[in-house]
Amino acid sequence: MSKVVKAKYTAEAVAGFTHRTAMEEAARCLLCLDAPCSEGCPAGTDPGKFIRSIRFRNAKGAAETIRENNILGGSCARVCPYDRLCEEFCSRTGIDKPIQIGKLQRYAIEQEKAYKMEILKAPDKKKNGKVACVGAGPASLACAAELAKEGYRVTIFEKHEKPGGVLTYGITPSRLPRAVVDHDIAQVKKLGVKFVLNTEVGKDVNLEDMDFDAIFVGVGLWGSRVPDIKGVELKGVYKAIDFLKEAAEKKKDFDPGKAVIVVGGGDVAIDCAVTAKLLGGGDVKIVYRRTLEEAPSNMDEWHYAMSLGIGVTTNMAPAELLGKGKNVEYAMFTGRDKKSELKLACDTVVFAIGQEPYNVDKIADVKLNEKGGIAAKATGKTNVAKIFAAGDIVNNGKTVVEAVAEGKEAAASIIKYLEKKGVK
Amino acid sequence: MAIKKDLSIEYLGVKCENPFFLSSSPVGSDYDMVAKCFEEGWGGVFYKTVGFWIPDECSPRFDQNNKEGLPWIGFKNMEMISDKPTEQNFETMRKLKRKYPDKIMVASIMGENQKEWGELAKLAEQAEADLIEGNFSCPQMTTCAMGSDVGTNPDLVELYSREVANATKIPFIAKMTPNITNMEIPAAAAITGGAMGISAINTIKSITNIDFENLTAMPVVDGKSSISGYSGAAVKPIALRFCAQMLQDPTLKDIHISGIGGIETWRDALEFLVIGCRNVQVTTAIMQYGYRIVEDMISGMSHFMDERGYNSLDDFIGLALPNIVPAEKIRRTFKVLPSVDDKKCIGCGRCYISCFDGAHQAFEWDEKKRRPILDKEKCVGCHLCLNVCPVQECITAGEVVWLEDKLKKFGDKKNDVIVKKHYE
Repeated sequence: MSKVVKAKYTAEAVAGFTHRTAMEEAARCLLCLDAPCSEGCPAGTDPGKFIRSIRFRNAKGAAETIRENNILGGSCARVCPYDRLCEEFCSRTGIDKPIQIGKLQRYAIEQEKAYKMEILKAPDKKKNGKVACVGAGPASLACAAELAKEGYRVTIFEKHEKPGGVLTYGITPSRLPRAVVDHDIAQVKKLGVKFVLNTEVGKDVNLEDMDFDAIFVGVGLWGSRVPDIKGVELKGVYKAIDFLKEAAEKKKDFDPGKAVIVVGGGDVAIDCAVTAKLLGGGDVKIVYRRTLEEAPSNMDEWHYAMSLGIGVTTNMAPAELLGKGKNVEYAMFTGRDKKSELKLACDTVVFAIGQEPYNVDKIADVKLNEKGGIAAKATGKTNVAKIFAAGDIVNNGKTVVEAVAEGKEAAASIIKYLEKKGVK
Repeated sequence: MAIKKDLSIEYLGVKCENPFFLSSSPVGSDYDMVAKCFEEGWGGVFYKTVGFWIPDECSPRFDQNNKEGLPWIGFKNMEMISDKPTEQNFETMRKLKRKYPDKIMVASIMGENQKEWGELAKLAEQAEADLIEGNFSCPQMTTCAMGSDVGTNPDLVELYSREVANATKIPFIAKMTPNITNMEIPAAAAITGGAMGISAINTIKSITNIDFENLTAMPVVDGKSSISGYSGAAVKPIALRFCAQMLQDPTLKDIHISGIGGIETWRDALEFLVIGCRNVQVTTAIMQYGYRIVEDMISGMSHFMDERGYNSLDDFIGLALPNIVPAEKIRRTFKVLPSVDDKKCIGCGRCYISCFDGAHQAFEWDEKKRRPILDKEKCVGCHLCLNVCPVQECITAGEVVWLEDKLKKFGDKKNDVIVKKHYE
């Protein structure tokens, strides 16, 4: 018999460090000459430096190192796939196991909050340059913060009621508490970035009518893919984003169903399954069409899902949904081997098989890529000089930290563009 | 069957079941405590110091310091001698001796003047104590007529020792303070006065930590603090030095010395025995972990004896003493180069950093392979690298290189150099 974790929807999955346990972990760090962990961060955070600060009793200095580099340092500390980023490169692995870099980053950012530190400051003298950022998710927040730090006037347009994008409406709060997201976003606000919420660009406002010197598009992927099979229109069948968003809004008033099947193998699939389980979703299963080794989600997340009692079936792809009246009743799967078959009774099916762009063509007239997202270079440049883009809408869905890195990169390009144009 | 060797030893004419004793301190201050420690295996107790003078204690009275989150590197104590009535203390000793006749009861005494020392010695004899220890060394007394202020005055040490020796036939042990340059002087004075044995060391005058909240030292007593005695693991090296120096002193070399200072494990105890102590005393480790630590002292020491084929403590007491020599007697005609095991090396570069910043810049760093490369010419064989390397037995003692000019200078020959091979 396995002991299964019983948790609340909003309860954190992992307890953080105290001053003492953080010091114990920092003392395990070898403080390497070349700190290979630092090579592993897409956003360029230097764990070698902030862990050394913790070790030498300078938690405030550690918080500065993180926050100055990553405006979403608190959120990244919770959701980064460390095991294949910084921790993957940790030298300590040669002795036993890597330093828990993510947890130390979380600790440092918690000190920032505890000591009410104000690390980032916008210059007193603002520049004239005005930039619009479309979407208030990780890429946009990162881009906006970089620009604001340089003194540009930045306005973020967000169609939802709250900023944060996937951080607010996607990732389950057990993995990423909303207070952590809010604290990160508060740092953006303190830089003087203006947030225009409940406003969809291309529908409620048209940026062409406004006098922005540059536009950044970081709208993410808010359309969910659904397989081309029979029965997807039945009641009880959800797209991942809609499922997560509804759960995030209704919290414990959300009824996920008694027999829940989540289809997919990424972090979003696990978030859906965890959300269903924590909100009383009875029997919750994840069915994935490939193997765990091929799955985009990392092993820690699978372990966490399993610790809650969520079952996982691999190498089975959805074939058909059968209904009883308007409601879904069975989900049929066929094996990758073309021989196996699976019929599961259910009242809820959630498809978390990837997101896709949503109404991107209405935002701006830019060249799209083959996936329907925005075609942009690594620098964030699109085919239109004043329009830049980054994050999921360009890379077709990667991690939060990669969106932050790309948003920063785009901000650097925007600054160059504005300087060249003579906007001061 | 668990190995158990005969750990008995003759100490000042008294047969002790083992050399592990409680030192005179809070850990042995009433009947229940001492009874419990005897039941758990301690060979004897130096009962908490008794005087006619009764102290007034403060609250709080302890502090500890830590490194990298590891607590109790050292411990600070502001408590003085027993605050129980004199008669009651001697009565407790008598009861304990009658209940545990095979355990050794040492009455620790401290008088304010010559007369009191004599009277206390007589009371100890009436209480049927096996031995008497004179506390000339407590550094936190609120009167300068007692404690380390007496212990640093050889005339008083001799006078009071003589008083005790004349008052009773029970062997008298003088407990020394380390708050002095040459411990041999008061120790010899005690012997001249009639003491038979020496205990060393009592605690070291200290300020463990400064509290930034109240701008005083720790512990904070109503916003103030005092210098007081420091003990625990951090003082062991200092204690070993004082004991070794006394045991090498021509007038003290045959005196039975009881070693005190930072003993936590059988290995610590063994260190005092191999330099020549015949008894060891413990307090700080008991305050941190309890009496039960003696179980592993007994078992660990038994295993050591079994490995080496020893049958009695006398087989190895003092074996290391002749090998501790004055600096001018150390052979200086060769260097032992470090040998780096490239397979065990995890590439942290700590050896490179320490060699450059703290030694002789004898390593080059191969950035690609992440390995140190030794320059045998520049290397002086200091072994700083070996001491900072975090991997067990990665850097060990390697090739012995003769220094031709030094061979000539000292007239030395290229014969065998004894090198330490195993590091833990």
